[in-house]
Amino acid sequence: MRVIASSAGNFLRKHVYVAFILPALLIYVVFLVYPLLSSLYYGFFQWDGITRGAFMGLANFKKLLAESPYNVRFFSALKHNIHFFLMTMAVQNLVGLAFALILSRGIRGASVYQTIFFMPYTMSVIVLGFLWSLILNPTWGVFNKLLATVGLSGLARPWLGDMATALPAITLVNAWHWVGFPMLVFLAGLEAIPAELHEAARLDGAGGWKLFRRITMPLLMPSITIVTILTFIGNFNAFEIIFAMEGSSGGPYYATDVLGTLFYRTAFGEAGGFSGQDIGLGSAIAAVMFVIIFAISYLGTRFMRSREMQY
Amino acid sequence: MVPAQSSIRNWTRTACTTGLHVMLLAYSIVVLYPFFLMIVTSFKSTREIFFSPFGLPAQPGFETYLKVWKNASFNVYFANSAIITGVSVLLILAVGSLAAYGLARYNFRMNTAIYLFFLAGLMLPIRLGIVPLFLLMKNLNLVDTRSALILTYVANGMPFAIFVLTGFFRTLPGELEEAARLDGCGEFMIFHRVMLPLIRPALATVTIFNFVPLWNDLFFPLIFIRSDALKTIPLGMTLFFGQYETEWGLLFAGLVIATIPLATLYLFMSRQFIKGLTAGAIK
Amino acid sequence: MDGKMRGFLTSPTVLLVLLALVTLSVLSVLPGPPVLSGLPVGRALAAEKVELTFWSWRTEDTVAYDKFIKAFEAKHPEITVKFMPYKNTEYNTILSAALQGGSGPDIVQLRSYGGFEPYAEAGYLVPLDEKVPALKDFPAIPLSGARDRKDGKVYGVPFAVQSLQIFYNKGIFSKFGLKEPRTWDEFLDVCKTLKSKGVIPLAQGTKDGWTLESMTGAVAPNFYGGTQFFNEVVKGKADFRDPRFVAGLKKLKELEPFFPPGYLGISYTDAQMMFVQEMAAMFIGGSYEVGYFNRQNPALKLGVFPAPPQKKGEPALVSVYPDGSFGISAQTKHLKEALLFINFLAAREFGQMFTDELKQISPIPGVTPVPGVMTEIVGLTKSSTPYIMLVGFRYGQPTGSVLLQNALQGMFAGKLTSEGVADEIHAGLVKWYQPFHK
Repeated sequence: MRVIASSAGNFLRKHVYVAFILPALLIYVVFLVYPLLSSLYYGFFQWDGITRGAFMGLANFKKLLAESPYNVRFFSALKHNIHFFLMTMAVQNLVGLAFALILSRGIRGASVYQTIFFMPYTMSVIVLGFLWSLILNPTWGVFNKLLATVGLSGLARPWLGDMATALPAITLVNAWHWVGFPMLVFLAGLEAIPAELHEAARLDGAGGWKLFRRITMPLLMPSITIVTILTFIGNFNAFEIIFAMEGSSGGPYYATDVLGTLFYRTAFGEAGGFSGQDIGLGSAIAAVMFVIIFAISYLGTRFMRSREMQY
Repeated sequence: MVPAQSSIRNWTRTACTTGLHVMLLAYSIVVLYPFFLMIVTSFKSTREIFFSPFGLPAQPGFETYLKVWKNASFNVYFANSAIITGVSVLLILAVGSLAAYGLARYNFRMNTAIYLFFLAGLMLPIRLGIVPLFLLMKNLNLVDTRSALILTYVANGMPFAIFVLTGFFRTLPGELEEAARLDGCGEFMIFHRVMLPLIRPALATVTIFNFVPLWNDLFFPLIFIRSDALKTIPLGMTLFFGQYETEWGLLFAGLVIATIPLATLYLFMSRQFIKGLTAGAIK
Repeated sequence: MDGKMRGFLTSPTVLLVLLALVTLSVLSVLPGPPVLSGLPVGRALAAEKVELTFWSWRTEDTVAYDKFIKAFEAKHPEITVKFMPYKNTEYNTILSAALQGGSGPDIVQLRSYGGFEPYAEAGYLVPLDEKVPALKDFPAIPLSGARDRKDGKVYGVPFAVQSLQIFYNKGIFSKFGLKEPRTWDEFLDVCKTLKSKGVIPLAQGTKDGWTLESMTGAVAPNFYGGTQFFNEVVKGKADFRDPRFVAGLKKLKELEPFFPPGYLGISYTDAQMMFVQEMAAMFIGGSYEVGYFNRQNPALKLGVFPAPPQKKGEPALVSVYPDGSFGISAQTKHLKEALLFINFLAAREFGQMFTDELKQISPIPGVTPVPGVMTEIVGLTKSSTPYIMLVGFRYGQPTGSVLLQNALQGMFAGKLTSEGVADEIHAGLVKWYQPFHK
């Protein structure tokens, strides 16, 4: 016993980092990695409702990717995830960048604006989904009434019920929730750029756009990488906001159906009991999601980091 | 000639600044309006909610709040939310900063692999693991306890905490450590006394980024918690949404009770937090 | 233990981790303040008192269920029953996780047909045929909703039958001199008149897909031929691409001009509110609405009629379905007490209370419906047909309900024709519905 204890002590003395890392690793492996892996493993089985049946290899994956109508739903959800991501990049992150550029110029009240713009982050998705559904409601919603008061009633729409506007509307609400995040990251990036660089460039005769293009942008690349990757991961895991505003089918007529909602209703059944659950197929969806998210964030980070190196 | 030109420049400058302020103010309204709507609506009758969504309540009263706070046991839910969120965040900070320190300041063979192993957890929808996780909690006899939630939350919080904190620890100069070591400090002392205080802004960031989603989480309490005495606020709120009917007045009062503490906390902490996020995000 | 090791054990790192673990274990022993103080005393007082837990998705009925339970407890003082409602949309997830983890309730509220079968077939439920004698006298349709197709055993005591029809506002109708329509054309005329007077004829929206399934259940059976078509399609002699079914969908589409403006974005709760607050004259929906309508606006004079057929004299069918049933978890430690309670739930006394309190149709024989609209609705169910997707096509993935609900959203959005809806339903069902493979 003594020998073991002392050798363990010696080991730890030599490898003191183990003592630092172990508690986190233990909790992480037991309560996150293990359940997730066993769940992925379920994807290789036949499931009859909630009872696990025979091992069936890749059959669930084949069904998901190659069999109609399952693959139709899968690829449509994937497409919506991509749209969601691109629109978020174009709206939320560009607006965040614009706010950061404005606020970094030392405008009066900048810190108050920062605080306000980040505040929606504290609201829960159930609450904000509910409030925005009310605001965008075609009958009692404030938004369409506002359009009418400024003489734009022609633009009024059932925003969340119209197939063409549902996903963009969700993207905007999601941007409302999150815009403070890219704003703060970009602000940090801008503050880290030495003022002398701008001065030097200005002396060389560089004007606004050129200055931004040649100096600000390249030096902001690390922030852009972080924001892009986190946006990607966040958007490909999206579930709650769509569930709260459009239900578990991602309505209307699957117009807002993303991988997160597809996974949820397949693995746990349609909310409201309209369908049972298929844990095998659901687990297959999650496995594919994991591969997509992991591969793209890995490759994306490498690519964007290599772009950073050029400057 | 010269003064005139500069006054024109000043004038355009002022116009430009004013324009920016108008824009920023307009967006501030967009941000604040839903908060305002929620509070005003909580004082309205059901009919008013739908038929005068713009208007102010005719007879504002606090009965809905009293009803929600007492009858719907929101006082109990509130305490549970506070305990569960508080303990989870403290543990995330403690366990996460230890691990981040180990990963950032020691060179060993598996270092990068372990770091990436933690980061991979950022990418999976954890809901997927719910059935095995539930079985695990069941076997540990933890179903219907606060610990089930706390352990789940701590495990979930690890990837982000380690991501942010490792980045921070890496930026600290190595001389600090060397100096402390020469002074005869043990490894933990160096971590605790020298390095940890230096990453305080990062700890604030990790706090806010965990506190908010944990406070608002509905999914895990839904699965793990049974007793009324252990319910959290989001779980308590679901009782206002019926299958075919909804208690609008109570619902909005519940929404306010769920949202305001967090928003207030944020307003108090925002300076520290923004500093942490802006200082840490690009590292 | 040598000095070094002792040094390691007392090092702050380890202490911190130990502290964390101790905190956790203390927290798990102390489930919560009320329990902490109440548990030992409560145990001692009620040494032989058995507590049954009873899970439900009817959060809005808590008060009523507490009343029912009081009536039961008065007869059986040795048993207490705890009613625990969960949010409707999350109920399945919670129940599955709990049953798989072996920590479910004693009494379970079960959905009908395909909704409960996975639980029965996994052995999570107690078959009740012999254990609940009253089941013998239950009518066949409600009972079929709780009967497993494979072993033919009944796993639940049905609690309510729902039917789908058209509600109307008697005040608005008499103001414009309108009568309950008897034919489809009269119905469209009523709608046109209301619209010309500036009243929204039908409070319907398409944002929540499931309300479209209810509308189909109310409107389409007269046109697809009711139970005859149902039987053919269940046996695989016909499928959903049949012109009769498509004709039913076309009729649904004819109502579109009479929906409220922006109906694509109108949710179920919006539609309820429009009807209850008398903005709209009619509401196509389920019998379960009556209680809520009454409570929200007691002044509303509620009338009801079945969706009218094409010609006068043809039967006006309403779709009916058993809403669900009460079952016993096979994991219960108190089977005897659970059976006492389940038998109470199958008795006429409970059925009458259930009907009176909740204004719903009880399937228990001998129960008198509440006078007024509820009695009228029970009258309408004399000419009924099975609610097609729920009764016949919720056994596999994707279910007929999900296919129909989403495809109809596509139809109202102008993305699909009624033939397209039918094709999409068939393409989904043919994946798992064996009779369609012939």
